[in-house]
Amino acid sequence: MHHPYIDKYAELDSPIHRIDPRVKIICAILIILGIIFTEPTSAVSFICYGIFLSILVILSRIPVSFILARSSVVIPFVIMIAIFIPFVKEGKVAGAYSFGTLKLTVTYNGLVILLNVLVKSYLSVLCMTVFTASLKFSVLLKAFERLKFPNLLIMIFSFMYRYIFVVIDELMHVKQAKDSRTVGGGRLSHTKTLANVLGVLFVRSYERAESVYIAMRSRGFNGTINTLYDFRLRVADIAFVVIVLGFVAIARFSSAI
Amino acid sequence: MHIPDGFLSANTWVPAWIISAGGLGFCLKKVGTVLKDKTVPLMGVVSAFVFAAQMLNFPVIGGTSGHLLGGVLAAVLLGPYAGAISIAVILTIQCIIFQDGGLTALGANIFNMSFIGTIGGFYAYKIIKSIVAGNTGILVSAAIAAWLSVVAASSGCAIELSLSGTSPLRVALPAMAGIHALIGIGESIITCMVVSFVLKVRPDLVYNE
Repeated sequence: MHHPYIDKYAELDSPIHRIDPRVKIICAILIILGIIFTEPTSAVSFICYGIFLSILVILSRIPVSFILARSSVVIPFVIMIAIFIPFVKEGKVAGAYSFGTLKLTVTYNGLVILLNVLVKSYLSVLCMTVFTASLKFSVLLKAFERLKFPNLLIMIFSFMYRYIFVVIDELMHVKQAKDSRTVGGGRLSHTKTLANVLGVLFVRSYERAESVYIAMRSRGFNGTINTLYDFRLRVADIAFVVIVLGFVAIARFSSAI
Repeated sequence: MHIPDGFLSANTWVPAWIISAGGLGFCLKKVGTVLKDKTVPLMGVVSAFVFAAQMLNFPVIGGTSGHLLGGVLAAVLLGPYAGAISIAVILTIQCIIFQDGGLTALGANIFNMSFIGTIGGFYAYKIIKSIVAGNTGILVSAAIAAWLSVVAASSGCAIELSLSGTSPLRVALPAMAGIHALIGIGESIITCMVVSFVLKVRPDLVYNE
């Protein structure tokens, strides 16, 4: 079966794809921290980040439609915050509405909060999408390992990545079998069937894990995995870090003007 | 409930990151002493299972559908620490690969769903199980704990948002807990049914201290 979930655009070739994975991780964190710590009112900084990230998106050759779809995950949260805006009482009133006996006031303070979280979350998602969509997950994990993240956790991640496709395949097979035998799915009465599907999946996954462990053990696995060191820092990578640092500084400085 | 970047202020997400990183380290150590070199394959494959289980939508009353959060399910089947690790692993994957939840907010998301939802949910399960005996006890307590875990995790989320000054607590808390009290019903039913299935097929796989 086809799995479009992970690594969809990681095979493309672009200046962004060629950057050292470790550099990408550090730069992504730098940019997100820069965005998070920007003053809510400094619009110029946000525009700077917007332009910079848009340039990165274009350079990376990842389809804009994909990036837009990915960034839609922030919408539910933004709506949730938007609902609370009328209840933020402090500050200057921007407008008042009354629905029968219910009187709601919208303050500038509330609108600033909404705009702040909307812009920051959107820019951060944009940043994460550019950097992680241009990176294969296995390479990303290796980069985390080189950056001295806990080895045990990285191994769990790499195992999960390896078996996600196997488990999802199994789930799809069981689901297909279920769908071809039941009509009008989505009814409440099907909940029990779905629960049994999950139960089967759990038992099978657990048994698979046990046989994987035995297979590994019989091949000499002792709890650690050794991989070859194959990352090399190029001049272009260092240049990229300098550019990112320069940009975060410019965005920061521009708010002071 | 996956908080994006920008919704939490530094005085909330930095401590949440520290607590979650420390807590995760503690869980890994606990699980490592029991599973030893089995930790990696088992946690990896089982995390993949929870990830796949979250993809499956189930019908909720009124024609809408929801998906499993799986905190209590993971805890009942794997135990609190292994359950918390697999939920944290999934949250991290969702953050990095799907941008579902922010990088700075990841600590808070892990705190809500792994620690409040899974470990907290497990202790709720354990307490109720000690009152109601037998397999019925396991099912009843899994169902109640699943509902509690969803409501508690969402309350944690509301409290963090209000600590950050993003939304006032007196509105956010009832709203979040209220919505999730409904979502929790689906979680509760599905958790109970999956546990009941595993109890019938492989009762040895249900976590027992």
